[in-house]
Amino acid sequence: MSAVEPRTETDDARMRREEAELRAAWETPRGWRHFSACNNQTVGLWYTGASFFFFLFAGVLALIIRAQLAVPGNDLVSPGTYNQLFTLHGTMMMFLFAVPIFEAVAILILPQMLAARDLPFPRLSAFGFWCFLIGGVFVGGSILFNAAPDSGWFMYPPLATDTEQTGIGADIWLLGLSFIEIASIAAAVELIVGVLKCRPPGMRINLMPLYAWYVLIVGGMILFAFPPLIAGDILFEMQRLFDWPFFDAARGGDPVLWQHLFWIFGHPEVYIIFLPSIALLAMIVPTFARRPILGYGWIVLAAVGTGFLSFGLWAHHMFTIGLPWLSLGFFSAASEAVAIPTGVQIFVFVATLLAGRAIFSIPMLFATGALAIFVFGGLTGVMVALAPFDWQAHDSYFIVAHLHYTLIGGMFFPLIAGLYYFYPFVVGRMLSARLGRWSFWLMFAGFNIAFLPMHITGLRGMPRRVYTYPEGLGWDWLNLVSTVGAFTMAAGVLVMVWDALRPGKPRAPRNPWNAGTLEWVAGDPSEPWGIRSVPPIRSRYPLWDQPNLIREIDEGKFYLPGAPEGKRETLITDVLDATPLQVLRVPGNSFKPLIAAVLIGGSFIATTFHWWLLAIASGALGIAAIMVWLWTGTAAIPEKPERGAGLGVTLPLYASGPASVGWWAMFITMVGDGTAFISLVFAYFYYWTIHPAFPPAGMAPPDGALMLGGGAAALAAWAAMLGARRANGGGHAGRVRLLIGAAALLSVAGAALLLLAPWQAGLDPVAHVYPATVWVLVLWTALHLGVGVLMQGYCLAGALAGRLTARHDIDLRNVVLYGHFAFLTVATTLAVLVLAPRAT
Amino acid sequence: MGAKGGRAFEGLEKAALVAGAGLLLGACSGPQSALDPAGREAAEVARLFWVMLAGAAIIWLAVIGTAVFAGRFQKTPLGERAGLRIVLWAGAIIPTLILAALLTFGLRLMPVLRAGEPALTVHVSGEQYWWRVTYRTAQGEVETANELRLPAGRPAEILLDSADVIHSFWIPALAGKLDMIPGRTNRLVLNPERTGTYRGVCAEFCGRAHAFMAFSVEVMEPAAFEAWLARERAPAAATADAGAFLANGCGGCHSVRGTPATGTIGPDLTHVAARPTLGAGLLANTPANRRRFVSETEKLKPGVRMPAFGALESDQLDAIDAYLGSLR
Amino acid sequence: MLFRRETPNLWTLLTPPAVWALHFLFCYVAGAIICAKAPEALGELRLAIAAATGLALVIIAAAGAQAVRHWGFGSDAPPHNQPTDEDQKHFLAFATLLLAGLSAVAVLFGALPALFIAECGA
Repeated sequence: MSAVEPRTETDDARMRREEAELRAAWETPRGWRHFSACNNQTVGLWYTGASFFFFLFAGVLALIIRAQLAVPGNDLVSPGTYNQLFTLHGTMMMFLFAVPIFEAVAILILPQMLAARDLPFPRLSAFGFWCFLIGGVFVGGSILFNAAPDSGWFMYPPLATDTEQTGIGADIWLLGLSFIEIASIAAAVELIVGVLKCRPPGMRINLMPLYAWYVLIVGGMILFAFPPLIAGDILFEMQRLFDWPFFDAARGGDPVLWQHLFWIFGHPEVYIIFLPSIALLAMIVPTFARRPILGYGWIVLAAVGTGFLSFGLWAHHMFTIGLPWLSLGFFSAASEAVAIPTGVQIFVFVATLLAGRAIFSIPMLFATGALAIFVFGGLTGVMVALAPFDWQAHDSYFIVAHLHYTLIGGMFFPLIAGLYYFYPFVVGRMLSARLGRWSFWLMFAGFNIAFLPMHITGLRGMPRRVYTYPEGLGWDWLNLVSTVGAFTMAAGVLVMVWDALRPGKPRAPRNPWNAGTLEWVAGDPSEPWGIRSVPPIRSRYPLWDQPNLIREIDEGKFYLPGAPEGKRETLITDVLDATPLQVLRVPGNSFKPLIAAVLIGGSFIATTFHWWLLAIASGALGIAAIMVWLWTGTAAIPEKPERGAGLGVTLPLYASGPASVGWWAMFITMVGDGTAFISLVFAYFYYWTIHPAFPPAGMAPPDGALMLGGGAAALAAWAAMLGARRANGGGHAGRVRLLIGAAALLSVAGAALLLLAPWQAGLDPVAHVYPATVWVLVLWTALHLGVGVLMQGYCLAGALAGRLTARHDIDLRNVVLYGHFAFLTVATTLAVLVLAPRAT
Repeated sequence: MGAKGGRAFEGLEKAALVAGAGLLLGACSGPQSALDPAGREAAEVARLFWVMLAGAAIIWLAVIGTAVFAGRFQKTPLGERAGLRIVLWAGAIIPTLILAALLTFGLRLMPVLRAGEPALTVHVSGEQYWWRVTYRTAQGEVETANELRLPAGRPAEILLDSADVIHSFWIPALAGKLDMIPGRTNRLVLNPERTGTYRGVCAEFCGRAHAFMAFSVEVMEPAAFEAWLARERAPAAATADAGAFLANGCGGCHSVRGTPATGTIGPDLTHVAARPTLGAGLLANTPANRRRFVSETEKLKPGVRMPAFGALESDQLDAIDAYLGSLR
Repeated sequence: MLFRRETPNLWTLLTPPAVWALHFLFCYVAGAIICAKAPEALGELRLAIAAATGLALVIIAAAGAQAVRHWGFGSDAPPHNQPTDEDQKHFLAFATLLLAGLSAVAVLFGALPALFIAECGA
């Protein structure tokens, strides 16, 4: 960059030129084109706003619920409406607020915290946001048409699979949320790669801000927690649409399988919600304790430990289904064990405060309130982790109280602390401390008045999800008090919303809290470039320990100070020690992610209404739109191989294979995809354990020869792709095209043979759960071969268009990576369907 | 570490706790309260709860007291090593020990709570939105609905399943809940100890009328129980005319043993007048309520499967009511 | 690959909790299958869980010992916050050691049910 400039340029002129370059490259579009923005900072702001709107919506639903329950025998709402209210309240709070707000806040602040211009896949973030918005409006808006889901946010079959007792609401839930889950996984990919590869040079793994550690862990948890629910959704929707009996006991299915799949998702989800909010506290506490966090390593222990242990708790939502005592014991044990890392987390904060010189502030007020509420919820959590106590507490108002104590204390209050803390950095204005105190005390008092009595209400026998209750059972005044508390809390939320939206707030100074981490470098939020130049980092709290850092960043003294080619660029560094590896060109603004989200969303929505032709057309167009987006926006071959990145470092502009972020994204996505597949395999073996024989007597497994033939074709396709990669490395363009074409044909043949096998055996998926399970595994596998064919076609087109060269082979290597996972899927399906029936 | 500020703070909290505890004890009673136990399991679990609550209160006060002190009142910062020792001991080691003890206690409790050689077997099936109750005795099965009577001091085995969706069987005064799941049979052993009238309820959301799926529970002296069971086993001894009841098709869904009414869709009504409640715990079983329930079924219990017979002539309703009232 | 390494990395950090996960999975799956298909074999199952617990603890201890070695046998106390290879290594090692401790406790907790519960029940 500056090497080619005339030496006579003054510093001032250089800075002005660089700023102009950056402004031009990173400009946020105006007018209606604003919605084509693909920049994590802009998308993060939309994302935060949308999920907060859904929070307010779901909060209003809760107020209607509390109004209905204020007095016994009330008839403010009908039971039908009430069932929609509580179902949608839970669904929206979990799927449209708690998880998305984590993704939103992370997308918003993580790039700044890592001094990254942007994370590597801004268009993916935009796509995820639009998916979320469309799905969220679809699910939430359904209640305005009296068509909301009404069988609980947990959707237990056989009630929720019964199309006569539950209407279109159940389909809206399943399809709308499946669509949103895509957005969550997209965000997880972005955030994991962001934390691992987009840190500033020198920010080694031991210097990462704690928030980034939590984001990394939670991203990983999403990859393993959401796919089981997607698998469950598939089984569920197959039953609702086509009567495949996965959860119908009369035809060999089992409603309990849904509970397993739902809670394998549902319990980690609680921690997916909790950890990122605690992460905000991990940033806030050191700032106000005016010292580094005490016990950085302990926090990492707590985050990683919680991440793992949270996957061993799911059955504590199922303590009353009649599991063997031994199983109850295992889940009880893990449920107690998970309290240990949580305790560590809390005491790290307490010890940091004790070892610092704490200043009091509104964020700290909310943090302390969060602690008071959350610790209480954690202690009742330790109680209900004991199965015998849970037998009483389960599905009673005690649990309603417990879960709100953990979520409001563990998620909501920390989030609001974060809102007060980060508001100046995001909006450039200060929130009022006086209104903050009002808001806090109204919320804190209101919350406790609402939920503390519910512990007693529950132990006095009030079950959950009843739209009214008789008088004289001792629940009357308790409920009235709870209702008063709920409205008090709502008043506190209103104060906060008013403060956030009102005009005329004072401008925030730069770094108003005197914090030590990099996000506070941000000056004027209207500058779109993220960070003026990317500094080398030598400390966990660079603003405290590296003198003159902000000034030198502003003067463009560090990496990537300008954008001489007018491209958006960000630095890629090494996973462990953050040495700079590549200057990554990230794509700019585009409507393509929005168009793709609308089309794919349209396909899901059309399926809800059984408009099959529209669903297929919309889905096909959506896939085409994604192809166009990829073709025009990714893996562009740069005009020169490398560029000076500043501070005398020259870095490549192109990387492929494990060195490229795209390869990591594919790998991470396929881990999630593999988890969904494993969940389907789990379903097969689950049925195997509950049936004396599986396949049951009189049912033949799918034709072995056809299955093996399909497997052989898939193996050959896989080998052909490996061959293509090798030929490409050797520069044999003709052979590459031939091999890719052969791989595509072989994949088609493999998929056809696999589908033929159960057909040949006459397996009718409606008749019994065995054929239904076989079909779902085979369809999943064939679908993966089919998607592989699309990718192979894309590579072939790239080869023909001259986009695929020996050095520029991102697409081919990513498709080969996909092929590994696809072949693993084929092999597993064969093992399950061909070997397992013969082994038992 | 600045014990003065902390102590003053804890004093205030303690006073609040005592006041709260007083309020709590007064607020625990009731026919459906897990804290007002009448059975062995419920009593054990209630005791467990009080112990855990006391422990939780102490821990909460200690943690929050320290946090508030650290954030607001302390003047001299602690050293790095001392801070890490707090994390190690208060954050990791002490919680591990407490949790290990609690877990061990809970695990040992589990098999004990539901042990006992049952003297009686009752099969309860959850149906939208009522309970089919069948006593399995040496002299054959005795079917009733929406009420469970048990002899005090004798373990009773309850077999639970469902005819439609998932329900959950919960009598808080006797024991914890156990789900009723289509395709499975769950087994619960109850050890009722104190005679009295209690209330059970469906604890798993089961559809539109989930709020109205309760039942009455009567724990009786064993002799009284045997007498009741003998009466219940006998066929109907109606003193009023069954004509209107049969002519309006009630027998298509309901059984009255010893009459042409043999329907099995709805509750058995052989001794309906002797039950304490109507409509699965919905209304007290009085003549006026019986008449209302027959004529305004959907209004009283939205979502119920039984159609309302409000369109019947008044004399027909009178006759049905008289007949039902005589089924003792 | 994970053991006898010169330097720790993210995979060695994740080894102890991954061992916990495998132990948990084994206990749960084996328990579910035995209680569904062959409750009479519960005695053997409890022995198998004891063996699995021993094995898991040995692996976790090995990971912990390696972490102690990477940590320089505790010669360098936290906070490990310098921008050096040394501190990066010590940080990862220390966090791994803590995770080994937590994983060992969680494995022991997970084995307790098999110690106290001698019937499938329900």
